[in-house]
Amino acid sequence: MADTDSFLHLARPLGPAPVGAQPSTAPLSVVIQPQAIFSILDHSLRRNPDQERVIGTLLGTRTEDGTEVEIRNCYAVPHTETAEQVEVDMDYQKQMLALHLRANPREVLVGWYATSAELNTFSALIQNFYGQQGDGTWPHPAVHLTVSTVPGQDIEARTYISAPIGVTAERAADSCLFIPVPYEIKYGEAEKSGLELISGAKDREDRTQGILTDIESLERAIQHVLDMLERVSNYVNNVLDEEAEPSSALGQFLMNALSLAPKVDPADIERDFNNHIQDVLVVSYLANTIRTQIDLSNRLATAALTLGTGDALTGTGGGSGEGGQKSGQGERRGKGRGGQNRSNES
Amino acid sequence: MADISKDSPLRAVQVEALVVMKIIKHSSQTFPTTATGSLVGMDVNGTLQITNSFPFPTVDIPATDGHQDSASNLAAAAPRAKANAAYQNEMIKFLREVNVDANNVGWYTSTSMGNFVNVNTIENQYHYQKEMNERTVALVHDVSRSSQGSLSLRAYRLSPSFMAAFKENKFTTESLQKSGLRYQDILVELPLTIHNSHLLTSLLHQLPSDAPKEELPFPPNLAALQQDPNTPQPPLYPNFDSLDLSIDPFLEKTCDLLLESIENHHTELNNHQYYQRSLGREQAKITAWQQKRKAENAARAAAKQAPLPEDEWQRLFKLPQEPSRLEVLLNSRQVEQYARQVDGFTASVSAKMFAVKSNLLPGE
Repeated sequence: MADTDSFLHLARPLGPAPVGAQPSTAPLSVVIQPQAIFSILDHSLRRNPDQERVIGTLLGTRTEDGTEVEIRNCYAVPHTETAEQVEVDMDYQKQMLALHLRANPREVLVGWYATSAELNTFSALIQNFYGQQGDGTWPHPAVHLTVSTVPGQDIEARTYISAPIGVTAERAADSCLFIPVPYEIKYGEAEKSGLELISGAKDREDRTQGILTDIESLERAIQHVLDMLERVSNYVNNVLDEEAEPSSALGQFLMNALSLAPKVDPADIERDFNNHIQDVLVVSYLANTIRTQIDLSNRLATAALTLGTGDALTGTGGGSGEGGQKSGQGERRGKGRGGQNRSNES
Repeated sequence: MADISKDSPLRAVQVEALVVMKIIKHSSQTFPTTATGSLVGMDVNGTLQITNSFPFPTVDIPATDGHQDSASNLAAAAPRAKANAAYQNEMIKFLREVNVDANNVGWYTSTSMGNFVNVNTIENQYHYQKEMNERTVALVHDVSRSSQGSLSLRAYRLSPSFMAAFKENKFTTESLQKSGLRYQDILVELPLTIHNSHLLTSLLHQLPSDAPKEELPFPPNLAALQQDPNTPQPPLYPNFDSLDLSIDPFLEKTCDLLLESIENHHTELNNHQYYQRSLGREQAKITAWQQKRKAENAARAAAKQAPLPEDEWQRLFKLPQEPSRLEVLLNSRQVEQYARQVDGFTASVSAKMFAVKSNLLPGE
């Protein structure tokens, strides 16, 4: 995303502001979850054609001391902007916030986003709205996230908090100082599999990707590992042939990596391997056996047995009884093997 | 799985990346409680494009162990609750204002180990398919399988024949014989693809994921190499988690679930046997009564008296109600789901195991 900037915060005297309404300007760090970014990009695509930028509200969590903010969710807020004035649908913002809080009671309002990197008077106005007392994030600073979505250029994100600036009292509402703060985009373990699929589509013309089965994703992963091994072994061969420049650090690193391979007795491996493969196959076999049994039981229960006309009902009764006995056997077997499995595992 | 019939209005489901992320986030946050939410989007020439989603509000219940089940039940029943219908309408009204496709196209649910074929799922989907329109789907996200490597997200609909049967709520042996409905035909799976927007594609291309192509200077020592900022992050794609070799937890869980299913099946069969027995008893009683009445009538005819009516037994005896076979059907479908899952697991895990073995024991 954006280049990793470094940030320096200097304490400085604060400008005149209403006493007691001073939001904290302590530096904080921001963590953004990918789904918030995705949502902002989606909103940016759905803006009205005459709109330069769109804004929305950021939801997330804040640590107790307020030094770390995690942006987890966001929603769009309609607004209109002309050269002279900006209008944000406050009512919409309030009601939408209430709706979101009902579904995610743990998330709180943390700030707002805009889909342009520009900071102007209107930004300050909106920023002050989000940071105000009552409906805003006060006493914590409101986080402002800008995501530039200019076509043909890199998507750049920036995060800011604000401080009041020393101007006359009547201009205090539409002016503030945006202080850049560092941010990170982090994804959780659970999201990894989703991101894998999503980024799998990035090189495709139609930007789509079907769901992969386990075995397909395994194949791709192995293919990738093989490519990497190929690259390393090429380099090592080149060094041996004195074609590439050797490096002791790389050598050491490779040595360390190779020494991670466990030294196990072949007999142990053989035994563990056999135990586990048997477990896997038995469970697979059992599952399919049970499926067949239940299928059979269903078929017997609903099959139209034609032993004379009046016997149809009693005939099916016998059928389902038989099925019951059969799956009863399956159950006993299942229990026995299941127990055996667990004793193998321990 | 039955093929999608030709008259089905939907042929495929296309899910926006945003929706995938939202569902994953919501599901993993509430795990192990079931998470449910609503999907919005539109139908374009038989392909259902799902472009946004939002979760249903949760009901606050003290998170003690005893209450976990009921919280899960409430969440699972959420899509057809009245309060949530209002919530959903309100949310969609607001989403329309910011140019989101404001059509409700279904709902999503989270599950663990494919354990989702139950009455709740069916009733929810029935609720949607009956009231909204034909073009609604259920997305099922399997949290525990996704954590093992590849994402498990599937789209299902109820088949027309099942819809008809469920509408009349008739799942007796007779009606099943007549309609030929089998457990394989309950759910129809739709092919699902993931779609990225242009902006997202551009964002993904910005994320460094591959090894740098140009020549890098050699690191002076090992410590410098390990702290090198140029070291690429493990790429998002492919996901190396799928190389992980963990076998036992999966097998254990599958065995547990299978046993549970068998027990359910057994209970249902016992119910049926009980029904058959009581039916038999009642029928025997009726026959006895009828014979008695016949003998009586014969006696009365001999005495030149008017015969008593012979169909009075319909008032006197009540035949027991046949228990619904719906539970059996669903249970069978669930077992089928497990069996498929195990097959898939076996395929990949045995490949991995043979690879590990030949790696550790070269030359054998």
